[in-house]
Amino acid sequence: MAHRIDVHHHIAPPSYLAALHMRKLGAPPTMAWTLTKSLEDMDRAGVATAITSLTTPAIGPWVADAAGARRLARECNEYAAKLTSDHPGRFGMFAVLPMPDVDASLREIEYALDSLRADGVLFLTSYANRWLGDPTFAPLFDELNRRAALVYTHPTTPPGCEGLIPEIPESVIEYATDTSRTIGSLLFTGTAARCPDVRIIFSHAGGTMPFLIERFTRLPGMRKDLEARVPHGVLHELRRFYYDIAQAAHPMALGSLLKIVSVSQVLFGTDFPFRTSEEHVKMLGECGFAPTEIAAIERDNALRLLPRRQG
Amino acid sequence: MAIGDGGGLRRRALLGGLVVLGASALLPRRESSAQSPTPTHRIDVHHHHSPPAYVAALKSKGIGQPPTLAWTPEKSVEDMDRAGVATSLTSITTPALTFLETAERRRVARECNEWTRKLVADRKGRFGMFAVVPMPDVEGSLQEIAHALDTLKADGIGLLTSYGDTWLGDSAFTPVFEELNRRKAVVYTHPTAADCCKKLIAEVPESAIEYGTDTTRTIASFVFTGSAARFPDLKIIFSHAGGTMPFLTERFTRLPLANKQLEAKVPNGVAHELRRFYYDTAQASHPMALASLTRLVSTSQILFGTDFPFRTAADHVKGLTEYGFSASDLRAIDRDNAVRLMPQLKA
Repeated sequence: MAHRIDVHHHIAPPSYLAALHMRKLGAPPTMAWTLTKSLEDMDRAGVATAITSLTTPAIGPWVADAAGARRLARECNEYAAKLTSDHPGRFGMFAVLPMPDVDASLREIEYALDSLRADGVLFLTSYANRWLGDPTFAPLFDELNRRAALVYTHPTTPPGCEGLIPEIPESVIEYATDTSRTIGSLLFTGTAARCPDVRIIFSHAGGTMPFLIERFTRLPGMRKDLEARVPHGVLHELRRFYYDIAQAAHPMALGSLLKIVSVSQVLFGTDFPFRTSEEHVKMLGECGFAPTEIAAIERDNALRLLPRRQG
Repeated sequence: MAIGDGGGLRRRALLGGLVVLGASALLPRRESSAQSPTPTHRIDVHHHHSPPAYVAALKSKGIGQPPTLAWTPEKSVEDMDRAGVATSLTSITTPALTFLETAERRRVARECNEWTRKLVADRKGRFGMFAVVPMPDVEGSLQEIAHALDTLKADGIGLLTSYGDTWLGDSAFTPVFEELNRRKAVVYTHPTAADCCKKLIAEVPESAIEYGTDTTRTIASFVFTGSAARFPDLKIIFSHAGGTMPFLTERFTRLPLANKQLEAKVPNGVAHELRRFYYDTAQASHPMALASLTRLVSTSQILFGTDFPFRTAADHVKGLTEYGFSASDLRAIDRDNAVRLMPQLKA
């Protein structure tokens, strides 16, 4: 019986595709996305509900004009909202924001959460070499904290890290690294401690942060200025964040992550259409979790964050 | 550190789930950790020293971190004695000699290596050396490799993970690796922050994320340019448990599946290459890194390393002991694996 909730599932609304196409951007699976493909993938693997989001480059500095970015965000969000209402129970949505325009993003947060009843908002891990703890973005996190909102983050490649090694696509190393960077930025700028009510999901088991954990936990001891930014400690913040299992449903990643956080913080995610739900169900099943833990990861943990998806 | 076991993952089933790599022989054994420190026996493969010529060069540019500038042989020996380290393989840490002009770089490399050779001779048995070479100057590096290995009897060659924005698989460096492979040399690699990734986030030092990442990049570069398959006789040590590569293993192993060109570069498979490399424990002697690394490679590939003078040897002995390796695994990591790699250290 379909019961799973996928928090890492990408769609490509028509206006997004058009914008990508114009700039010759967009990975082939994004450009070839259809609603039918989403539903088929979900049905094959018992996914009841997918919370949709755009993948990188989402909306960022590449959309050169501010008005165009606002319009694109609005159209994408309207499309995702219609998808959600047209297919009751099958979809939810993380709204895209016209980043890095902070004022326009504040307005889109209001519209998406109040009028469209989005489940949360999407941020990329960075926008043009600014990570999420950057002071420029503070008004956004303050507003999301006031709303106790759900934030889903998706990695991207910062401008300087594109095309570093010709043989190696950025998805192999750079994406995960950027998630670690934005976690570092949120912690050590003090944003995480200042905004305790925002619930943040990090993709791909936290990028590479779990493997580097000691570098994070030792930092405040080495620099007193940073110690004040994490008054409750680094681990306190890392343990209240959420982590999806997309492209990380294997012991080398989860074995490390689960030594830091409890199962309650882990969410099912697939990275569709880049990977399948079926693969993730299979691999998660082989990691050796107890049935109750699998149930928590596949559904119950997400439901705590997404009360509207109770269905 | 107050990180408990998050619970939930049952070890045996987890290991059974290693389908990506189809391995069964890579088990972190946890039976007992009856670690009784035999007298001074450990070999530290990740131990930084600062020859006078290096300190002078750093100071002339107003750079260099305090622990590097304040290093003395006595501090090394003191740290080693406190933690049962018999021998430390010395190397120069980042930025190595990259900040010098070519002629200067060759000169300082030579002076550093000569000085280190004397240190090795003067403190019999306590030190070995990974010689510094004037990379990215290929011609100068080839000359220094010959001098260091033939005349100075260095234990191996120390390289950074990248030079500028060029990683070790780059074709520019092929002559260096051809020569090192011909000599079946030991190559020790140390991370740096590549040009792409310096000073990205004011609050987060490069050592926190960028170093680990650059090791991962150079492993990828070495594997997917075909260098790893082409130079099977090289013995390469990657620092800090492989940077972040073990956590990203699946991204590595899946890559050739989607790209036939890359598949040809790794005729023996990605996992084959990753499993024959060596990995040190410096700043990674904790369960979050070791649990991941030990699922990927066998204990025979893991070497004791400390990152002195940035961390202590005692710290690492504690971390490794608490991880719960068996006494024989611990012995292999602390010493035997390094002796297999560098038999001259046996004495």
